[in-house]
Amino acid sequence: MTRTRRIGTGTAAVTLLACLQGAAPAAQQTEWRQARPDYVLQLPGDHASHPDYRIEWWYYTGNLAAADGRRFGYQVTFFRVGVDARPANPSRWAVRDLHMAHLAVTDVDGERHLTAERLNRAGVGWAGAATDTLEVWNEEWRIGLEGATHRLQARENRDGFGVDLHLTPAKPAVAHGSDGFSQKGAQPGNASHYYSLTRLATRGRLLLDGETIDVEGWSWMDHEFGTSFLEPSQQGWDWFSLQLDDGTELMVYVLRQRDGSIDPHSAGTLVDAAGRATALDAGDFRLVPGRVWSSPASGAVYPVAWRVVVPGAGLELRVEAAVDSQELSTGESTGVTYWEGAVVATGMREGRPVRGRGYLEMTGYAGPPMSEVLR
Amino acid sequence: MSLFRWFILRSLRGDLPRTAVTIAGVAVGIAVVIAIRLANASSVLGFETALNAMSGRTSLEIAGAGSGVDEALLAELGWLREYGLVSPVIEGDVLLDPHGAAGAEAELVRLLGVDILRDRPFRDYPLVGGADAESLTTRQFLALLTDPQAVVLTEELARRRGLDVDGAVDLISGDRRVGLIVKGLLGRDGPAEVLDGNFILMDIAAAQLALDRLGRVDRVDVRLAGGLDVAAVEQAIAGRLPPGLTVQRPERRGAQVEKMLAAFHFNLTALSYIALLVGMFLVYNTVSVTVISRRAEIGMLRTVGTPRRAVLALFLGEAAALALVGCALGVPLGWLLAQAAVRMTASTVTTFWVASAAQVPPLAPEDVALAVAVGLSLALAAAIVPAREAARLTPVGALRDEDGLSPAGGLPGRQVAGAGLLLAAAAWCATRPAVAGLPVFGLLAVLAVVFAAALLVPPTLYVLQRVRGPRRWMPVESELARTNLGGAIRRVSISVAALAVSLAMMVAIAIMIGSFRETVAYWVGQTLQADLFVAAGRQSPVGARATVSADVETALRAHEAVLAVDGFRSVDLPYRDSLIVVGAGRFDVMLEHGNLLFKAPADGRRALAAALGRPAVVVSESFALRFDATAGDDITLQTARGEQAFRVTGVYYDYSTDRGLVVMDRGTFATYYGDGRPSGLTAYLTAGADPGRVRQEVLAALGPDRPVFINTNASLRRSVMRVFDSTFAITYALEAIAICVSMFGVAATLLTLALERRRQIAMLRLLGAERSHLRRMIVIEAVVLGMVSLGIGLVVGFLLSLILIYVINVQSFGWTIQYHVPLGFLLRAAALVVAGAALAGLYPARLAGRFHLAERGADA
Repeated sequence: MTRTRRIGTGTAAVTLLACLQGAAPAAQQTEWRQARPDYVLQLPGDHASHPDYRIEWWYYTGNLAAADGRRFGYQVTFFRVGVDARPANPSRWAVRDLHMAHLAVTDVDGERHLTAERLNRAGVGWAGAATDTLEVWNEEWRIGLEGATHRLQARENRDGFGVDLHLTPAKPAVAHGSDGFSQKGAQPGNASHYYSLTRLATRGRLLLDGETIDVEGWSWMDHEFGTSFLEPSQQGWDWFSLQLDDGTELMVYVLRQRDGSIDPHSAGTLVDAAGRATALDAGDFRLVPGRVWSSPASGAVYPVAWRVVVPGAGLELRVEAAVDSQELSTGESTGVTYWEGAVVATGMREGRPVRGRGYLEMTGYAGPPMSEVLR
Repeated sequence: MSLFRWFILRSLRGDLPRTAVTIAGVAVGIAVVIAIRLANASSVLGFETALNAMSGRTSLEIAGAGSGVDEALLAELGWLREYGLVSPVIEGDVLLDPHGAAGAEAELVRLLGVDILRDRPFRDYPLVGGADAESLTTRQFLALLTDPQAVVLTEELARRRGLDVDGAVDLISGDRRVGLIVKGLLGRDGPAEVLDGNFILMDIAAAQLALDRLGRVDRVDVRLAGGLDVAAVEQAIAGRLPPGLTVQRPERRGAQVEKMLAAFHFNLTALSYIALLVGMFLVYNTVSVTVISRRAEIGMLRTVGTPRRAVLALFLGEAAALALVGCALGVPLGWLLAQAAVRMTASTVTTFWVASAAQVPPLAPEDVALAVAVGLSLALAAAIVPAREAARLTPVGALRDEDGLSPAGGLPGRQVAGAGLLLAAAAWCATRPAVAGLPVFGLLAVLAVVFAAALLVPPTLYVLQRVRGPRRWMPVESELARTNLGGAIRRVSISVAALAVSLAMMVAIAIMIGSFRETVAYWVGQTLQADLFVAAGRQSPVGARATVSADVETALRAHEAVLAVDGFRSVDLPYRDSLIVVGAGRFDVMLEHGNLLFKAPADGRRALAAALGRPAVVVSESFALRFDATAGDDITLQTARGEQAFRVTGVYYDYSTDRGLVVMDRGTFATYYGDGRPSGLTAYLTAGADPGRVRQEVLAALGPDRPVFINTNASLRRSVMRVFDSTFAITYALEAIAICVSMFGVAATLLTLALERRRQIAMLRLLGAERSHLRRMIVIEAVVLGMVSLGIGLVVGFLLSLILIYVINVQSFGWTIQYHVPLGFLLRAAALVVAGAALAGLYPARLAGRFHLAERGADA
């Protein structure tokens, strides 16, 4: 049975939620619905928004290539964070939820990482998420469903970059935890409902410097919702999602404690070529940091080369950033800084060479410890 | 130069009182010009500065016609994002409740409601105080504001009101009291800089609630992405906006206000130059007197070979010296006066926003340059005639006429002819139309009349001197006075002209204001028919956005003595580069109870009936004149549904604003501008009901938490007239200054006359004249001068009042004023002038009484 305790894909969102959680008065917590073990995830219905829960995100990353061989990575994330479940003010501008979205495009050959964000209240419909189908938008950025295919549109006019992609699942969704109920911490309420689409065939157009490029490749999607997730003792985390050329996927992460130790809740999931998932405990794998890169912007020092070892699966991979400089800083809007970028994996599985691509996220390297930000 | 020092400065020093008066005259003239200039600049500049601070980095703004933008339209404006950043904005004026603190007054503050998530790139909100205030993220800033009671206000306001973070503060918005909590303080930057810190920031949702404007925003600000051409984008956006929305640059609002105030400012400026004119007459007087009393010395100079040019330069130098000292004193005095003028003009500007933004700018080099340029050139122009005369003197001629008292010649025909020409020019000017909405020709006509009057003074004096009264009824002193004055016509005529011109202006303005006041009083009496007037909030100027709550209307209607209730709503609307007021009332109620005074057609009821239920309006007289619209015309107004033609069915008299009023039936208004709460209510009571009592009972029913203002008919009339009087306070003040200065001119002239006649006066003493006789003689001279000035002033004043009322007023404000002479005021003023002249003669009279022949020796 698949068991995943801490879901790494949540970490990007978690980082950003930091400030938001702190802002919500404790009394309001009770107005939101708690994640419960008896909730049964059903798709495609659960692709839609769950406004009864305070926190929700839709997360897409992928590695793409143009016909001429140029390689790109992208990240598009939509967050919804409840602020006040029942605002007293009847104005349409009253803030029930905050909607955030992050867009990043990595130009591997050009060694560039372009980012943009959107931060809005629903207001007159400038941001929102439908409750009956997968339809989430923030200004002109949006995700939607066309049959089984996810449509992803986000572009930043100012710098002329963005994506317009069609994503078709090549494997069924993987429900993490117990049928998608994912216990997050010692507190009973700290849990979420969580699933992933680990392999999405992707084609579409990528915009770079105002140039439209036809691209194709593979993407990864997460959707998670709940009301309270976090515990205060973490410094940050390092999280990997890898799609290997033998048809398997690996997701692993470690939680770093403030004292430098590894949290025992660190975990992962291995998905075989048929789509069967196997949970990994902290003891089932090792992540060894290697070469580091210093961000000139934040001063943070990130390991950008790693060794990933899963002895039980006979898997040993060397994972390296496709481009070192893939730090995303939200600056003035939410003040959160993290590294999130395309990676390349090479190694061996049970004696046979294996290669792959994926995404790596590293938080807690810049700014205050996450536990403080999370308070 | 040493000649100048010896000849001119000694003379100026020798006759200190006259020199002082002349300098004072120039200084006051300059001061008034500078004061009005600064005051005018301060209201426009103040508004523009505030506007800049409030618009921040906004490149373009999208606004709706009338009462803002329906937020339902905003959802369809997502495409604006293609051009840059977009931020919806709500603005409003609210009162800060004093909370019963002793001595504290409710203060008007500017409320800005924004979505901070979008607005931070537009405006700076430097939070101060509190932990991490400076490094607050946008998300944390939003958290400060999301509570509907949250407000962030300026540090300055907090200090002044004794507020602190987490403290409670009450706002009065219209007739609602809104309790808020201070969540943060702003430092002095961005919008917080405006209005002396009278600025508060709220979340857009909280602002909608506080201002009772759910569903609407005032405008949508757009900050263009770098590299885009503002004009091109403005055009592109205009092409894509749905009907009812317009795009403009923020500066445009400044230009509209400037235009709105242009006529008012122009007239004040013109008036200020009249004050300068008085100073100019005084310079002429002083230089003339120097020339006349120094004829002998001039002759001497000429005899020793001083060229004519040097003599000319000498006297022009005197004028320049007087002007420069006058400017040096006048400029700082003007700055001080400007402070007072700004406060006085503030009440005449109908929007608080404009008025309270007014701040006197510091003196700029241009102001000083202007003062010197104007003062110097006018003084030189004034001095050129006497100076040339001095230069023309031949040595012999100068020496022959030793005592300087040239006998009166014949009737100066050239002056009469000149005056005739000027009057003809004035008559022509008076028939010219306005230039760009400004009464340029009207003012030229005034100027021509003033100069004609000045030219006519010597001939008048000459004629008067010839008229001898029956000798036996006249004391000998008056005969002496007559002869003395007759002998010095050229000299005294300058003083008389100065005083007469000031008096003429006073008379003209008194008649104009008196007529205006009478007209307004009549209009108020005719049109204010309702028994009770309910206003949301303390002030309810035309175009104010505060609204009366529904429960107030319910309580009013529920009262048994109330027969009918009508609501009035109005919005400011741009119209042809200006800002007009579009109002709405219930025409059916007005037909039954009200009584607008109509100009055309005479039967206003027909106009109202014709406008019911169709896109038709009645317009105020000032609108009709300013925009050249009459009954039967169509005018095109911006509406929430796009441009719409409205048929004008009538023109009615209105004196509440010169901006132009367009009034439509409430139903029509609701169709084109949306329905909303009225900004004022009027109630008609059953016959015999006591309005005062009904007012009390309605207020009692509403309770103390409804800060609503109810006027009875009588009290509203009183307050209308009070506003009227305060509006014209500054006009009176300017005129009083001019008259005081010219009174001093009279005193100075008499003093000169007395000093020059020392020998003659001493001789009279020898011949047996008592001191009291001499004193009486000089006082009589003064009174005669005063009365002659008064007579001329009255005649010219009546003439000027015609120009003011029928040309200048109509061209600048578009008001019909019924001619009315405020006889009482004029009589009192006349008595004061004569008494003042007598007083002005007292000092020279006392001085003359002390003259002895023996002085002659010491003097020589």
